[in-house]
Amino acid sequence: MTNDIIILPLVVHLFFSILLMLFWNKVNFQKVVSMVGNAIALCVAIWAFIHVYNNGTQIVESGNWPAPFGIVFVGDMLAVTLVLLTAIAGFAVSVFSTISVIKARLRFGYFSVFHFLLLGLNGAFLTGDIFNLYVWFEIIIISSFVLISIGGEKNQLEGAVKYFALNFFASMIFLTALGVLYGLVGTLNMADISLKIAEVKDTTLVEISAVLFLVGFGIKSAIFPLYFWLPASYHTPPSAVSAIFAGLLTKVGVYALIRVFTLIYGGDSFLTTLLLFLAIMTIFSGGIGAIIQNNIKKVFMYFIICHIGFMIGGLALFTEVAMAGVIFYLIHDIIIKTNLFLISGLIYRIKATTNMKKLGGLYAHYPKLSLLIAIPLFSLVGIPPLSGYWPKISLILASFNAQEYWFFGALIFGSLITLIVIAKLWSEVFWKDQPKINFPKKFIYFDQLRLGQKFTFVFPVAFLTFVTLYIGFGAEHIQQLSQRIAMELMNNELYINAVLKR
Amino acid sequence: MEIILAIITGVLYASGIYMILRRSMVKLILGIILLGNGVNLLIFLLGRITKGQPPIIDSTEKALEGIYADPIPQALILTAIVISFGLQAFAIILVKRAYKVLKTDDLDQLNTTDEDS
Amino acid sequence: MLGAVLLGFLFSLFLVFAGSYFRGKLAVLSSLIPLSLFVYFLTFIPEISSGEVIYESYEWIPSFGVNLSFTLDGLALLFALMITGVGSLVFLYTSAYLKDHKYLDRFYGYLSLFMAAMLGLVLSDNLMSLFIFWELTSISSFYLIGFNNDKADSRKSALVALGITGIGGLLLLGGAVLLGDVVGTYRISEMLSMRDAITDSSNYLLILLLIFGAAFTKSAQFPFHFWLPGAMKAPTPVSTYLHSATMVKAGVYLLFRMTPVLNGGDIWHTVLIVVGAITMIYSAVHIIFRTDLKGILAYSTISALGILVFLIGIGTQAALIAAAVFIVVHALYKASLFLITGIIDHETGTRDVTQLAGLRKVLLPVAIAGFIAALISGGVPPTLGFVGKDLIYESTLHFKNNAVLLTIIAISTNVLLFYAGFVAGVKPFMGKLPKKFEKLHLPSPLMWVPPLIMTIAGLVFGLFPSLIETTFAKPIAMTQAIAFEDFHLKLWHGFNTILGLSAITLVLGVVLYFTLKPSHALENKIAKLDFIAPEVLLLKLSEGFAVFSKYWTNFFQTGYLRHYISIVVAFLILLLGYLIFSDFSLETDFSTLADLTIYEISILLMLLMGVLYTVFTKSRLAAVAALGVVGLSFSLLFLFYSAPDLAMTQFSVDTLTVILFVLVLYKLPKYLNFSNKWLRMKHGVLSVSFGVLITLLILRVLKEPKNTEISEFYAENAYKLAHGKNVVNVILVDFRGIDTMIEISVLIVAALGVFGLLKLRLKTRDKK
Repeated sequence: MTNDIIILPLVVHLFFSILLMLFWNKVNFQKVVSMVGNAIALCVAIWAFIHVYNNGTQIVESGNWPAPFGIVFVGDMLAVTLVLLTAIAGFAVSVFSTISVIKARLRFGYFSVFHFLLLGLNGAFLTGDIFNLYVWFEIIIISSFVLISIGGEKNQLEGAVKYFALNFFASMIFLTALGVLYGLVGTLNMADISLKIAEVKDTTLVEISAVLFLVGFGIKSAIFPLYFWLPASYHTPPSAVSAIFAGLLTKVGVYALIRVFTLIYGGDSFLTTLLLFLAIMTIFSGGIGAIIQNNIKKVFMYFIICHIGFMIGGLALFTEVAMAGVIFYLIHDIIIKTNLFLISGLIYRIKATTNMKKLGGLYAHYPKLSLLIAIPLFSLVGIPPLSGYWPKISLILASFNAQEYWFFGALIFGSLITLIVIAKLWSEVFWKDQPKINFPKKFIYFDQLRLGQKFTFVFPVAFLTFVTLYIGFGAEHIQQLSQRIAMELMNNELYINAVLKR
Repeated sequence: MEIILAIITGVLYASGIYMILRRSMVKLILGIILLGNGVNLLIFLLGRITKGQPPIIDSTEKALEGIYADPIPQALILTAIVISFGLQAFAIILVKRAYKVLKTDDLDQLNTTDEDS
Repeated sequence: MLGAVLLGFLFSLFLVFAGSYFRGKLAVLSSLIPLSLFVYFLTFIPEISSGEVIYESYEWIPSFGVNLSFTLDGLALLFALMITGVGSLVFLYTSAYLKDHKYLDRFYGYLSLFMAAMLGLVLSDNLMSLFIFWELTSISSFYLIGFNNDKADSRKSALVALGITGIGGLLLLGGAVLLGDVVGTYRISEMLSMRDAITDSSNYLLILLLIFGAAFTKSAQFPFHFWLPGAMKAPTPVSTYLHSATMVKAGVYLLFRMTPVLNGGDIWHTVLIVVGAITMIYSAVHIIFRTDLKGILAYSTISALGILVFLIGIGTQAALIAAAVFIVVHALYKASLFLITGIIDHETGTRDVTQLAGLRKVLLPVAIAGFIAALISGGVPPTLGFVGKDLIYESTLHFKNNAVLLTIIAISTNVLLFYAGFVAGVKPFMGKLPKKFEKLHLPSPLMWVPPLIMTIAGLVFGLFPSLIETTFAKPIAMTQAIAFEDFHLKLWHGFNTILGLSAITLVLGVVLYFTLKPSHALENKIAKLDFIAPEVLLLKLSEGFAVFSKYWTNFFQTGYLRHYISIVVAFLILLLGYLIFSDFSLETDFSTLADLTIYEISILLMLLMGVLYTVFTKSRLAAVAALGVVGLSFSLLFLFYSAPDLAMTQFSVDTLTVILFVLVLYKLPKYLNFSNKWLRMKHGVLSVSFGVLITLLILRVLKEPKNTEISEFYAENAYKLAHGKNVVNVILVDFRGIDTMIEISVLIVAALGVFGLLKLRLKTRDKK
């Protein structure tokens, strides 16, 4: 059964998370195991990606129960692409974790929980069953609760309480939506739902269930006005944790929105109008949030919000061109946001702070490193021909075609704010002379690390930067992939037929 | 009958949210548990309820016949209850730890991380 | 041509790794890059002047229609030669100007990055790749303006410049995408034949707006001009190269390039003429009030850019040729004046024109260059400037509307530019040499030869205007796809109105130069009017925006959890309420109520009491006990409604939760009565509304028929296929076994988390 390849990433992560628990106290060994595990996961993900790329959507029926009666895993192009990106980000972060996360934290199951988190992410991308999606979401959030609170420092706990409360609330709304949907269609398989929901006469109820999903997923993907937990919590855990959160946790919400709104609620005019409005507000609100921050981690956090708006807006336009833009942006965003938080961790290791007012002189003292960091920063801005630029073509084109000039304006606004804030950040952190501040004495600075340790710090950043460069200069490949995914998403009967074997 | 249960579900949602909106962390947890119960009841109710016909196949039969309760919502709720328990247990300990470190049960004191620093 | 464009990129990449070798004496070798490119482009002159157009195309991102297609025609060649020619001289000059600067290699890196981007821009035949290079010029300009990055005002100017050109870049992107959408291609050469389709399109005005926005910001047109004087914080070679000779002309280039595509009549002419005219006169007047040499040159550059936009706006053959000639004229004299200013600054340490005098005694070759540059700038015969100015008057005089007004504006601007040229090029060298400057020496020839070369070129071209005519003017006229009438560039046209106007300009210019002395008093006077300058207004606007941003963000991000949750709940209420009440009907079947048994009623009452007690009690322990009652009632309810498995699970989970709670609660403080009455009211209303909506929602769903296909399958096959009699259990462990597996994983992770929270205490030594 060659199509089982698509669930191999799940098997790998489950295996390694249990394996890591067996070596509870052997932290150094765990480091190696986790890196190996993620490397294997990366290979498996590439394999699965190539397999699906060549052979089309793959279905795995758990327990051999055919859909819609059992839970199926659906490896369509979107799912395996996201699995691949998860593996790339996961690998980089696991390498970064080995050096940047302190031993005390690692002793309490950090790596094991980390693999559970990746397991949950992969599961969420692959599952074809809406309740199963809920269950994967739960393993994601419980793992993220553990990772965000591990170490139990003051602001970590503060962030964790808010993060917990809002995400738990989101899960409850998700479940409510699920209940309503089940009450209407009596099935949980997403492909089956898509077919049966057309038979529901009371379309308002369908819209209500969609709105509930929108809020449930919207909280997770941090859209306006549901994002407040994000600026309250993402900066509190260690950078490695923030990185995986930033890159993937909000994106899994976006993924769920894309999946649900293309497969089940395709093109409902009330919903698309609502989504578009929320997208514009998200871009606006996230953008102006970024302007006033002084902590680079917080700047990046508000950019997460701002750029979520790009994707949600593209989803709202609901054309194939727009969807290709969304997918391209998603691919770019996962890598770049993960990298940004790794970079903030690196800067913290160099200067013991991430506050722009206290930082400075990085360009003078670390010119090559600065140029390396400049690449993801410029990619974030979308300086052509780097990665953030290409999806904007599709999004702008789609907004013109749909005559949604407000969204075009929001795209320009968001891009401009990103440009200005990143330029300001560059000027403050890299150009400005180091202000005279009292450096903490006991801190172990980057300069004091051994060469190998330095390498471990810089390697994940360089690795992700390389991927970003590929996305930018190999845009042709990414765009073809995005177009293919967009085509699959907009013609949802392809998905339905594959799942239900019609 | 359904109408009363529907009202009760509404009450559970309302009281859950009301408790979450209090300042005490303990009340936050209580609210979360109430809300969780409300959600379970909603799923249960929307799966359509049936009195006294559990979805268990008689020892003499090979399949469920006649009127029976929909087994799927029950399975879902069971999963949800267990998952919620995991989360709630974690939350209770989180609150305990937060109280120990922050020396307060007042959620309004937990607003430093949102400030610019 | 691809190679020519890439060469600069490769060289700057090379400098990243091998830069340390190019900081010292080898730096001068960098000039070989632009020089070789200059020679390379010179070789194209015969082909281009014979009317050929050279195309070259490489596929890049065909999915987006973005290809590296290049075209070399008269216009592109003119710019390419300017970029590489001025570039060579600036590269040479820099090696002396920034001699032994510790970051000289970086400077060359940025400079050659810029040169490559600019070449790409003017050679691109694809609007998208043009945009890509356009943005790269903005970025390299950012780095060059901020080159002295230890100075706060350099950094600020770099940010302002990037901000303004960044807006323009995004507008250009929008315009390019829209234009590409209208005509179905990004290739400019293919658009030429589709002008009518574009001007008739409903998006024509939007396209114009976007393209104009891009051109005006890049080419520093009023009211976006202010970034350019700020950009003078950059080292002088940068001001010479980017902010006078080449980059700021990118906007003009774009308009030039787009004229045959977008010129759709009055709106095109009117906007460009008005904006150009305002810019040229506004900034020309500003010159009077400046004392900093670079400030004077900056404003005269803006004014010249205004003239170019103005001429393109007039759009007749004469005007376009005038613009083409003026581009050359301006590049020659303005670049020379900048380089001269750089020498003065380098040697004397000041650029304040009121302090400078008599420098001819120590810097004679520089003074000669300055004098010739001033002559070209003033349009004194027999320089090329004179030819250029004649053409300008000719086009204004023959324009269909307001010819007199336009001519007067042109004359006034030219008079002021005459003044500017002489103040910058002549005044520092005249008069008595102050004592402090007596010991000055002539700097390295690398610095004074380049301006001399350029000014001499201006003289030669003036004496033999036919050189320009065949090589550029005619091929450029061809690119404009206008009705092509034969014309000849001449120094001498005979006695006519135009000659008269030129004479008037010269006379007025001389008068102005001798009557008006630059002074700080004048400078202070204009400073009082700063509060209405676009720059200041924009600054105020951005400050206001920052305040607004802060207010907006803090309004939402208060740090209070309850605030966040109430917003989320309110948002939900809004949406659900809107949907539910948009077609509301409440018809519920009350008949089922008759079946209520006493057991049910008592269970439900117990449940309700438990909930209300949990909410309203003042004792924590009582609340937890009440919660236990709620859980118990739930177990009974499940039991009653055919869900024995749920009843058992609920019962055990409930018991565990209560025990855990009590154990932990033991250590927590008593409830404090935190919130006030008003807040409780507000939250009460919120939660009750939400509860009501949920109730209504449930009732409404219950009215719908439910599809039971799946549960029937389970009922049918639980035993037959999965061999279990308890269907719920079969579903859990078999049909939906994955759910259960993950559910267990959730518990494991939760346990790990609980363990960590209980045991892990970070010590200070950990927090390194």
